[in-house]
Amino acid sequence: MIRIEGLTILFESFKIMNFNIQIEEGGFHFLLGPTGSGKTLILESIMGLRKPKTGRIWIGDREVQGLPPERRGISYVPQDLALFPHLKVKENILFGIKARDLDMKIYEEYVAALIEVMKIDHLLERYPAYLSGGEKKRVALLRALAPKPKLLLLDEPLSGLDPSIKIDIQHLLKNLHTSFHPTTLCVTHDFEEAYSLGDGITIFIDGKVEQVGKRDDVFLRPKSIKVAHFLGAKNLYKARILKSDGLLQRLILRVNGLQFSIPASLYQDQMEVGKEVDLFIRPEEVMIIREGKPVKDSLRRNIFEGKILDIAGKERYHLVYFQTMEGKIPFEISIPNYAFRNLKLSIGKIVRIALREESLWLMT
Amino acid sequence: MEDNEKMSFRYTMIGAAICIFIFYLGLILSLFYFVGGKGFWEALLHPNTLFSIRLSLMAATIATFFAVLIGLPSAYALSRFKFVGKGILDTFLEIPMIISPIALGAAFLVFFNTPLGELIQTKGIFFVFEVPGIVLAQFATIAGLVTRLMKASLDEISPRYEAVARSLGSSPWQAFYRVTLPLSFRGLLASIILSWAKAFGEFGATVTLAGAMPGKTETMPIAIFTALASANIDKAIVLILILVAFGLLILYGVRLTGKRYRYD
Repeated sequence: MIRIEGLTILFESFKIMNFNIQIEEGGFHFLLGPTGSGKTLILESIMGLRKPKTGRIWIGDREVQGLPPERRGISYVPQDLALFPHLKVKENILFGIKARDLDMKIYEEYVAALIEVMKIDHLLERYPAYLSGGEKKRVALLRALAPKPKLLLLDEPLSGLDPSIKIDIQHLLKNLHTSFHPTTLCVTHDFEEAYSLGDGITIFIDGKVEQVGKRDDVFLRPKSIKVAHFLGAKNLYKARILKSDGLLQRLILRVNGLQFSIPASLYQDQMEVGKEVDLFIRPEEVMIIREGKPVKDSLRRNIFEGKILDIAGKERYHLVYFQTMEGKIPFEISIPNYAFRNLKLSIGKIVRIALREESLWLMT
Repeated sequence: MEDNEKMSFRYTMIGAAICIFIFYLGLILSLFYFVGGKGFWEALLHPNTLFSIRLSLMAATIATFFAVLIGLPSAYALSRFKFVGKGILDTFLEIPMIISPIALGAAFLVFFNTPLGELIQTKGIFFVFEVPGIVLAQFATIAGLVTRLMKASLDEISPRYEAVARSLGSSPWQAFYRVTLPLSFRGLLASIILSWAKAFGEFGATVTLAGAMPGKTETMPIAIFTALASANIDKAIVLILILVAFGLLILYGVRLTGKRYRYD
């Protein structure tokens, strides 16, 4: 297990106060935050390249602050990869094993397995300059994993790649993780990346941890409007709690004169009547009802009629801009392409949308 | 009209470059006007001439060795670390470049007349009007320069390479000689060659500190000066041509180091 407690870093205009994080053995944890939030400073402190003002770092049961980088057992893949240009791919890969004076015999099989998973056996004799972007990423990952680090640090591992190669590398990272379970801390500003790979996510904005949790908790249920904004949340509304229905265990909210119903159980007693809150639903959680099809029970409580204002086609999905008739509440709706075709939507068409109660989320 | 303007701009710029080339080439070619005079071969093979060549080669090489010995770590420190007084230190490296060489040599003469200077001379090595004085004068001229040039080469190598090497288990020393040194090698070599050439051609500080004794402290540039002073044109030409030949060889050497790795 990796444990960081009370890390405080003051550097130029950056001020990171009391940063904490915990990563389970074999976990894939994301530190997700906007560019310029000081994430790289945290990585450098964990590695030992930067001395934090205060803070304690445990890797396994060993406390490592005070140790130089080479004795921490941490491998690091920087954003620019920094493959050694004067060494062949093979020499790059074996660099860590040689530098640590490890017995090559013990590692031979493991490295061979890594090379196979990474599909780079045909590149071993090449110099890094003669590799494609995706190949470089593979080699850099392999070089980091070869000496069996206790912690793998990745800095924006999918940045700067073509979309199709990005997906390849994403799969590869997933495969690597399921096959070899390196404990990984990955820094990124791209929440799609974090969503597709991470099991735990720490949201880090302006030098502060805003939320820690399992991936779905964070994405569907941001703790604050700040987190929701950072995650690119589209459908955010100011709402007022109208009543709390004890019998049905529902909260009834009002937005622009429209009423929304959500389960009260998720919020314990924090939501008293009359309180102003922020209501949020992800675009892919909004459903457009197909006429003539029965609506499921869980969707019945939040059905609104409105008009399609605009449609934007994307590679894998369509974005539909919808506005309710009553209250004129705008919704951005994301629909997979196949569903979009079945719905036969067009601009100006009047449709009904349904919101699953559990997908609606309140923030105070 | 616009095209015309573009072309005349182009021609003006290239024309200026060609003028500089012709200027230097003409200067070198004019030397050959006097080549082959009766004193020419005699001067070329004279023991004092050969001595000057040997002395210059040796002194410049030793001076460069010491300059690199202290300059490389200094360059690394200036390139990679933040420390108090870094700015002042960096500025001081330029002192030999802005002070006239004669003044630099004179400062040494003054220094060796202070109690500390006298102590060094009596208990250690004699510098004034001796061969070590040549090395010292050349060292003083190039130590700042070689540090500056090597710093520029090290600046080009991203510290991230070292960070990765460290994380993979290298000590700072290992990271330096396994990664940073080979990556910056060509740049460092070019810096060293240029500094050596500067030492090889050094005149002012050397002549002031070590004097101009034929067969003792007379390096090539000094020999040229004394040959001219005694109106021995043939000897001066021979020495200048040898200097030019060395110079061209050095430039060629620096060119060769210009080939570099393909970085990402």
